[in-house]
Amino acid sequence: MVSLTLFLPLLGAILLMCYRDASTENIHKIGIATSALTLLGTLWIWMRGIAEPSAMNLGFSQVEQLDWMPSIGAAYRVGVDGISLPLILLTAFLFLLTFIYSAKVRKQPKAFIVLMLVLETAAIGTFTSLDAILFYVFFEVSLVSMYFMIAGWGHEDRLRAAQMFFIYTLLGSLPLLLAILGLYLGGDTQTFDMREWIANPPLEGGAAMLALIAMLFTFAVKTPVFPFHTWLPAAHVQAPAAGSVILAGVMLKFGTYGLVRFALQMTPEAFREAGLVVLTFGVVAALYGAFAALAQTDLKRLIAYTSINHMGYIIVGVAIAAITLDPEIRAIALDGSVLQMVSHGLVTGALFFLVGMLQDRAHTREMGEFGGLLKTVPLLGWSFVLAAFASLGLPGLAHFPAEFQIFLATLREVPIAIIVILGIVITAGLYLKAISQVFLGASNEKWASMPDLDRRELLTLSPLLFFIIVLGIAPGWMLDVIHQTTIALNF
Amino acid sequence: MILISLVILTPLLAAAAILCLKKQAYKLAIAAVSMSLLASLGLLFGSGAELILPGLPNMPLRLIATPTTSLLSTMVAVVSTFVLIYAVGYMAQDKEKNRFFATLLLFISAMQTLVLAGDWILLLSAWELIGLSSYLLIGFWYQKPGVKAAATRAFIVTRSADVGLYIAVFILIANAGSSEISVTLSIGGGPAIAAGLLLLIAAMGKSAQVPFHDWLQRAMAGPTPVSALLHSATLVAAGAILLIRTAPMLPPETLTVVGIVGGVTAIITGLIALGETDLKRLLAASTSSQYGLMLLAIGAGVPMAALLHLIAHAAIKSSLFLGAGVFQHSRDSTKLKDLSGIARERPGIFIGFAIAALALAGIPPLSGFFSKDAIIAATMASANAWLFVPLVLLATVLTGAYMARALRLLWKGQGQQKTLRGLSWMGAAIAGLVTLVVILGVAFSSIEASLNAPLESNFTAEIFGLSAALTGLCLGWFIPAKALLGPLREKASQGFSVAGGLDNLCVRPALAIAQACEKLERRLLEAVLAVGKISMKTGHIIRRSDDQGIDRFIFSLVRQTVQLGDRVRALQSGFIHRELAIAVIVTTGLIVITIIGLLVF
Repeated sequence: MVSLTLFLPLLGAILLMCYRDASTENIHKIGIATSALTLLGTLWIWMRGIAEPSAMNLGFSQVEQLDWMPSIGAAYRVGVDGISLPLILLTAFLFLLTFIYSAKVRKQPKAFIVLMLVLETAAIGTFTSLDAILFYVFFEVSLVSMYFMIAGWGHEDRLRAAQMFFIYTLLGSLPLLLAILGLYLGGDTQTFDMREWIANPPLEGGAAMLALIAMLFTFAVKTPVFPFHTWLPAAHVQAPAAGSVILAGVMLKFGTYGLVRFALQMTPEAFREAGLVVLTFGVVAALYGAFAALAQTDLKRLIAYTSINHMGYIIVGVAIAAITLDPEIRAIALDGSVLQMVSHGLVTGALFFLVGMLQDRAHTREMGEFGGLLKTVPLLGWSFVLAAFASLGLPGLAHFPAEFQIFLATLREVPIAIIVILGIVITAGLYLKAISQVFLGASNEKWASMPDLDRRELLTLSPLLFFIIVLGIAPGWMLDVIHQTTIALNF
Repeated sequence: MILISLVILTPLLAAAAILCLKKQAYKLAIAAVSMSLLASLGLLFGSGAELILPGLPNMPLRLIATPTTSLLSTMVAVVSTFVLIYAVGYMAQDKEKNRFFATLLLFISAMQTLVLAGDWILLLSAWELIGLSSYLLIGFWYQKPGVKAAATRAFIVTRSADVGLYIAVFILIANAGSSEISVTLSIGGGPAIAAGLLLLIAAMGKSAQVPFHDWLQRAMAGPTPVSALLHSATLVAAGAILLIRTAPMLPPETLTVVGIVGGVTAIITGLIALGETDLKRLLAASTSSQYGLMLLAIGAGVPMAALLHLIAHAAIKSSLFLGAGVFQHSRDSTKLKDLSGIARERPGIFIGFAIAALALAGIPPLSGFFSKDAIIAATMASANAWLFVPLVLLATVLTGAYMARALRLLWKGQGQQKTLRGLSWMGAAIAGLVTLVVILGVAFSSIEASLNAPLESNFTAEIFGLSAALTGLCLGWFIPAKALLGPLREKASQGFSVAGGLDNLCVRPALAIAQACEKLERRLLEAVLAVGKISMKTGHIIRRSDDQGIDRFIFSLVRQTVQLGDRVRALQSGFIHRELAIAVIVTTGLIVITIIGLLVF
């Protein structure tokens, strides 16, 4: 089932490429149908659930494998656990909504949809791979698709942003390849099976530390962490709304997912030693992202910078999980971090969609040029208010349970690091500033005829807003799955 | 169990129904709050109940009905019922009634959750949600000038203080190993002092204590029923409720600080109220001052006295605000100079207003007399009596003075004749609340009995309190505020802001840091682009040397190789530019060198 779901989008892409003279409408229909089927597939995987972690299954469920390059020990291996399962569900969900939103794309729709479908397979593949080589392949393929998406369908300065994104993250991922080779050569058995590496970390001492540094570098660029984040605002601002949603909602999680899966699980001892350094990076990133966002006047840049803030909290959570010796605190920190990845996907996804809708109407993103829009476009306005309050961590909305657990674990393990909580005040300030500039106050005559959300846009937004509330009020159904895996981790 | 969920869910469901149906807003709203009121009365006279809901792993959410929580829940329900009845009249002309009633119901629901919460996560959630709903209510008329700034400030100031609550909650859970409030209250030592002080910060934010007091006066930009609700039984009350509920845990050192904060606030905001030129802002400053008195009672170690004053103040302050709302509608202004003589125009409302004012000053047999007496008695019995007693008496004098001044300004002058729509709804609500103001004092002894915390009556305290109140009333009625305040007048009218207030102390530094980050951001980007440029240039040079050197050599040697080379190059430039590829390699080299360098040194 995992493999079927994984390759369904690719299948759709191939089908689409063979289908000559397809009308724009049909192309979009195929895209939406394929991603809807993929979402059904991930729901099925979710229903089958994950088994109790044990020495037999090494913590992973629904594993499927095939020989690939037996001579070097690389194989096609996929499977899920409580950390990856929520992420693939998020991925399939966000992609479906992105396809619905993109139904307006008229410029080379076929190429766009094919790229998106390839990207979807790459994203699900990254989260489900249990073989390091396979992981790396998916990780890189996603890069290529995103490069073309920014370069082809982006805004004014798209080429430079796309190149910067590409070079930055390509360079960033090279150290990971070195680390993977190190882990491969360091093990007793010659295999790229990630489950083996997690069960018996192959490297120790200085070698493990070198591998950790290499991995941290890669994932710091991908997440991104200050000071490796400069590609992010540029890429986000230039990317089309659909691209921004996928980039922030799904692709940033590659970094934090890798941080847990590789750095934390494969070199736990080294990570414990370097934990405080990583924690410092997380705290600085969270606060820096918040302050930098406060200074923005471009709405899309502002949201891009809050991503750095929210991803900073995840780094803090993972670092705490690495430092602590108490399995309960580790579980709380990781529960919070994984849930934060999902929440951030939903909330930032909604915000980028909303900014995209605003830009479609006004062709500007400068906050100063708006004003009083709540009166003109109430549905859009209230949706933004809801998403913004979710993003600033209001209880009852998606980010709160995640951040609460991260902060709680932080205070219990490294009390001084709780200063990171100041981030929630700064984000409150910057979102209220944005809301009051764009949506409150007297209506601007210039936008008096702006239309409110249409059916396609409502169809895109309402599922997101609904799950933002559901995850805020009752996070239990997702946390239980995550907790099952995190509580069993021991190193 | 069913009753607890009814208290919270009926307003919430009604809010949803109003937003979906878009009609019958006020009927639905009143039906819902009446149901909620009945349910909370059921809790009050019931034998206690508890409701456990799924929350975070190992930390379930709890709602709990103890005598204290059900009493507070009843208070919230009573005040909100009257305020809603009043709002039907007050908002009769407004076009966006649906949004108003829905938000108000959301707010009431969140407040009931806060009052009934039995664990810290739920309390914290409700605490933030009342912050959100008050933001929406204060900003209700968001198109009017000044409104958005007032709403934004209210949310930011309270949220900054809320960080205290977050950290306190983390400390409590970490030390007690449970998120249940009653369990965490048993911790002691250093964590209790730290958590207590942090809780105090959160309470100071919500209850608008000095130096967080100025958001409350600005919040007057919202509709008057909102002010009535925020100031009496809900938003502002949350701070005092938090401290009343956690009082058993607070060590003496923390209690002293709580008392001092309360006493200082009571005096400073009392002076501000005396110098105010706007009726609603005067009442807002008075709210801070009265909550200061409650903190003083908690600091003196008698949270029961604070609870009684909280209840009495809820009825009194809502009556005052609702009266002020009628005056506001009659004259389209809340400036005291525009309101002169309003008493002759609306005598019925004015009588209600005056009774509430006298109750606030502490005149027997009105409810405020008994609760204020309890506070004075509490401070006299406290170890810090030398400090607390003068503070509470001075605050009582000030209360009498600013209320008498307000009454005088409303009384003197000429009345006009003007009809007002919706007056019957508004009048009915005020009458109901004023009745409570008059008779609540009788209920105090049974409240004390049901909570097992009887207060002894203290004759000296009664004499002190009454004479202070009468002194204040006389001063306020006969002597103009200018003369009373003397040199303090200018300071009072500026709200006693310290060093330019929050703007200079917090907002500007935060914005400055933000600008610094932005500047750093530009530098970083420039640096990255420079590295990219250098790499690209290197790529160019290598390509040129390739083309002109090695390539030419090879080309001249073998013709076939030329074709092959062309094909390869076509492949390369079809995908990524060749320069780009070289640039990547060069930059990789630079990074590897840097990393090796770092590792070596």
